[in-house]
Amino acid sequence: MKKLVTEFSIKHPWVVLGMATLVTIFFAFQFPNIKIDTDPENMLPEDEPVRLFHEHTKENFGLSDFIAVGVVKESGAFTPEILNRVYNITNEILDIEGVIADDVMAPSTVDDIKQGPGGSLVIEPLMAEEITSSEEATNMLGRIKDNPILRGKLASDDGQAVAIFVPIEAKNMAHRISQEVYKIIDKYKGDEKYYVAGLPMAEDSFGAEMFKQMAFSAPAAMIIIFLLLFAFFRKMKIIIAPMVVAMMSVIWSMGLLILTGNTVHIMSSMIPIFLIPIAVLNSIHIISEFHDHYKRYKHKDATIRHTINELFVPMLFTSLTTVVGFVSLAMTPIPPVQVFGIFVAFGVMVAWFLSLTINPAIGMLISTQTLKDFGREDDTRGMLVSLMHAFRDFAHGHYKAIIFGSLIIMAVAGVGLSMIIVNDNPVKWFKTSHPIRQADLAMNSHLAGTYMNYLVFEGASADDMKRPEVASYIERLQLDLVKDEIVGATTGLPDIIKKVRYELFGADSSALFIPESQDEIAQLLFMFEMSGGDPDDLFKFVTPEYDKANLWVQMTAGDNKTVSRVVKRAEDYIARNPLPEGIQAHWAGLPYINIEWQHQMVSGMRSSLLGSFVMVLIMMIILFRSFIWGLISMLPLTITIMAIYGFIGYIGKPYDMPVAVLSSLTLGLSIDFAIHFIERLRLTHRRCGNFADSYKEIFEGAGRAISRNVLVIAIGFVPMLFSSLVPYITVGAFFLAIMLVSGLVTMLLLPAILKMFNRKLLPACEPEPLHNTITVTE
Amino acid sequence: MRNFYLQPLRGLMLLALALMLAPAVSAQDAVELMKQAHLKLYYAGDDGKAEVVMHLIDKGGKERLREFTMLRIDNADGGDQKYYTYFKKPSDVSRLSFMVHKSADGNDSRWIYVPAVDLVKPISADDKNSSFVGSDFTYEDVSGRHWSEDKHTLKDANGKLDGKDVYVIESVPVKEYKGFARKVSYIDKALMIPLKEEYFDKKGEMVRIFRADKIQDIEGITTVTSRSIENVKKGSRTVVEFTGIDYNLGLTDELFTERFLKNPPREYIQ
Repeated sequence: MKKLVTEFSIKHPWVVLGMATLVTIFFAFQFPNIKIDTDPENMLPEDEPVRLFHEHTKENFGLSDFIAVGVVKESGAFTPEILNRVYNITNEILDIEGVIADDVMAPSTVDDIKQGPGGSLVIEPLMAEEITSSEEATNMLGRIKDNPILRGKLASDDGQAVAIFVPIEAKNMAHRISQEVYKIIDKYKGDEKYYVAGLPMAEDSFGAEMFKQMAFSAPAAMIIIFLLLFAFFRKMKIIIAPMVVAMMSVIWSMGLLILTGNTVHIMSSMIPIFLIPIAVLNSIHIISEFHDHYKRYKHKDATIRHTINELFVPMLFTSLTTVVGFVSLAMTPIPPVQVFGIFVAFGVMVAWFLSLTINPAIGMLISTQTLKDFGREDDTRGMLVSLMHAFRDFAHGHYKAIIFGSLIIMAVAGVGLSMIIVNDNPVKWFKTSHPIRQADLAMNSHLAGTYMNYLVFEGASADDMKRPEVASYIERLQLDLVKDEIVGATTGLPDIIKKVRYELFGADSSALFIPESQDEIAQLLFMFEMSGGDPDDLFKFVTPEYDKANLWVQMTAGDNKTVSRVVKRAEDYIARNPLPEGIQAHWAGLPYINIEWQHQMVSGMRSSLLGSFVMVLIMMIILFRSFIWGLISMLPLTITIMAIYGFIGYIGKPYDMPVAVLSSLTLGLSIDFAIHFIERLRLTHRRCGNFADSYKEIFEGAGRAISRNVLVIAIGFVPMLFSSLVPYITVGAFFLAIMLVSGLVTMLLLPAILKMFNRKLLPACEPEPLHNTITVTE
Repeated sequence: MRNFYLQPLRGLMLLALALMLAPAVSAQDAVELMKQAHLKLYYAGDDGKAEVVMHLIDKGGKERLREFTMLRIDNADGGDQKYYTYFKKPSDVSRLSFMVHKSADGNDSRWIYVPAVDLVKPISADDKNSSFVGSDFTYEDVSGRHWSEDKHTLKDANGKLDGKDVYVIESVPVKEYKGFARKVSYIDKALMIPLKEEYFDKKGEMVRIFRADKIQDIEGITTVTSRSIENVKKGSRTVVEFTGIDYNLGLTDELFTERFLKNPPREYIQ
C-alpha cells in the first residue's frame, strides 16, 4: 500500500498535484455557504432538559436576554445633566432594531409606585421627562432605593451608578446592538464613564472577535512556520510542500464541515489552528529525513523511497493516535465539541495522506539543479546537531538523575492535578484589559449584577402563587440567598406584594409584610394591575394564571464556580425547609446553563481522555508488538499531560472549556515524538545491532527531526500569546508547552530509560544490511 | 336688469365660496362624524348598567375571566361622566370595587376599594393609556377618548367594510401621545358606530385593533354588546361581552361616592 501510493506520487507528480488541487477547489467552493453560530447555548443539545426549561421560562415570563449599560460617576451620577443624558440615550436605544422597547429598564421607562397627592396611589414612570433641578435627581435616587423592584438594579445605593437594561430579541444581535449603543453613548457622553456589559454580549462579541483572531492567527502561524522551515532547509521550493499540505488539509476539512451542513461554532473555528501544526509535523519529518539522506543517495526518487519507507509506520501511528484523541471528543455530550473532534480527526487523516503524496510529488518536480547544494553533509555541525549531542551525552551520563527527576516531577504534578479548579465564565474569555471585562468589573462592583439567573416555582394549579405560605416561603429563601456575597439582589412576587401593600397603607413601613390572607394577596396584585401598573411587568415575576412564580437572582459574578455555590445554597435551603405542598423549584438562566454544560463537559472530557489514553496504549502495544515498549512510549504523553495540568492546578488557572478540549490535543501530539523515537530507534537497532551505536544514531536524524518540530510548532504559535482572547492565549501556550515538555521527555527520559535497561530492551543482534530497509515489505 | 348681470357673478361667487370651504367642510365633517360616533358609543342614554364578562386571551390561547357589574351616569353628553365597577370574578377579588369620575377637562379621579383590608384608596388617573384590569383595553378604550384631542381627516366618504358602508377617518393626536401615533376608524354610516379602529405606532406599524363584534338594539339604543381589542404586537386579545343592559335607570350622583364604593347599591348590584 505505501509502495503504491509513494510510487504513484513519484511517477506521476503532476497527476497527484492536479487531483489534490481539484479536490481542494471543490471544498473551497463550499466556503460561501458557511453558517456561523456563536451561541454558547448550543454547547448543549437543543433537546437538553435544562435548555428546554430555560426556553419555557423565558416564554412563560416574557423574559429576554439583555445588554446592561452602566453609567458611573464617582462623585455622584444623580445630577440633572447626567440623568438627562441617560434619558436621551435611552430614547435612542428604544429605536434600535432588535431592542424590545417595551421591556427596556431605565429611569425613563420603569414605573414607580408611590404616594401621590391626597393620599393617592400613583404608578408612573420614574423619570417622565427631562429634569432641571438637583432635588429632582436626589429624589429619584430615593425612590429607587425605596422600591425593592428597582433597588440595586437601576442605581447603586450610593448614587454613583445608573443602569439601563436593554432586552434584545435574540442573543446573536447582542454584539451589533452593543456597537450601536456605543455610538449613541458617544453622541451624548459627558465626563462620566459608560460601560456595556452582560453575558449575551460577551458571548456574541466573543464570536465576532474570534473570527477576527482566526483570520490573523492562522496566517501568522503559517508565515512563522514558513520562515522557520526556511531557516532550517534554505530551499523555498521544498518547504512549499508542508505549507500546501497544511492549507489543503484545512480547506478539505472545513469544506466538508460546511458541506455536511454543520455550523462553524466557537470550537470549530479553531480547527485550522489545530490542523496546521499537525499537518506540518509529518512534512517536517519527511523533509528532515530527505534532507539528511539526499547527499548519501544523490538521487531524488531513491531518497524519497528511503524516507517514506522509514517514516511510513511512525507517521501512520502518530496520525492515528491524534485521530483517537480527537475522535474521543465525539464521546462528550457537547455537540460543537463532537463536531470539532470529528473534523479535526478527518483533517489529520487528510494531512497524513497528503504528506505521503504531496511531499514526494513536489520533491519530484524540483529540478536536480535546485537541489545541488541541498542536503546535509555527514560531518555538518550546527546548532541542532550540537544540541542533540548535548542531550545524548547528558542522558547517557545522568540517566539515574533524569529518571529520579521525572518521578519527582510526576509526584509534584500529581499534587497540582488535585488542585485543579473547574471554573468558567465566558466574560473571562476576554483579557482583563478588554472593554467587556472592564465593564463587567465596573458594573458588578457598583450594581446588583449583570448575571441573571431565575429560580422558578411551579405550583400544581392556578393561583398557587397567591397562597400566603408560598409567597412567604419565597421571601424567606430570598433572605437566605442574599447572604451569598455575589447575590446582588433578588426580586420576586413577594417584593411586589409588599411594595403595593406598603403604598396602599400610605408608605407605612409597618405594613411591609406578606399578608396571611390569600384574598388580600390577590387583591393587592389586582390593585397593582388596576392602578396603571403594566401587567407585563408583573408577569415577569408570575404567570397570568398565578401557577408559576419567577424569582430573579441577580449576581455580581458569573463564574460557574460561584454560580454553582448560589445554586447549591438554594438547594440546601430547600432541603432544610421543605417547599410548600405541591410546589417545585427549578433553575433557569444563562449562567445556570453555563454551569450545566460545563458539568457535562468535565465529566465527558474525563471519560473521553481516559478512553483515548487506553486506546493509544493498546495501539502502541500493537505497533511495537511489545507490552513494555508500549508502556515506555506512553511516558512522554503521561508526563506532558500531568505536567501541564499540574501546572494549571498550581497557578490556579481555571479548568475551562478550552483547557478541557486541549487535553485531547495534548494526548494526540505528545505521543508523536515517542512513536518516532522508538520506532526509528528499533529500525536503527536492527541495522546497528549494538546498543552503543543505535543510541548514538537516534540523536542524529530522528533527534534533529524532533527538535525541528519542537521549534517550529512552539514558535509558530507564539503570536497567539498576544491575542486579546484568553482561549487563544491558552491554545498558544499549550502548543508551546506540549512541544517543549514532550520533546524534552522524549529526548531525555526515553534515552535514560534505554541506558538503564538496554540489555533487556535492545539486546545485541546481527546487523541487517542497509539496502534491505529500502525494499518494502507489505 | 341688475339681477340679470349679477346672476352669473353670484353663481361664480358661490362656486368660489364652495371651493374655499370644501376642505374645511370636509374636516368639519370628520370631526362631526367622530363626535357623533363617540357619543353613540360612550354616552348612550343618560345612564346605564351592564353585566360585563371580559375574556383575557393570551397569545397561546389561554383565557382568564373578569366579571363585573358596571354603572354609568352622564352629567353632560360628551362631558363629565361617572363609572362604578363592582367585581364578581375572579372570586378572590369579588366585592372589590372601583370608581372613575371622568372630567371633561381631563382631570379624572379614580378610587379603588380593597375589601380584604377594608380600605378605599384614590389611585392615579394620569395615565389613560394604561391597562384596564390587566386586559388589552386601556382606560381610554373603556371610557373613550375625547374627539377634540385628535385631528381628524375624512379619508374615504364611501368606504366599505365587510359589505357595510363606512366612513374611513384618520385621527392623529394633537399633542404627542404614547398610546398611538395614528388611528384609522371605520364608522358604520347607517348606525354611526365605529365597527373597527386600527391603531398605529410612530414607526407606522399597526399595534392594536378595536372591533365592534356584535351590535344590538337595546331599549331603542344601538348598543355594541360584544367588542374586542386585539394587541397585534403582543398577540393577545381581550373580548368584552355585555349582558343585562339597561338604560335610563335614573341613577343619581350620590351612588358614585366613596360610601357606595364600600357598600354597593343592592338594587343594581346583586
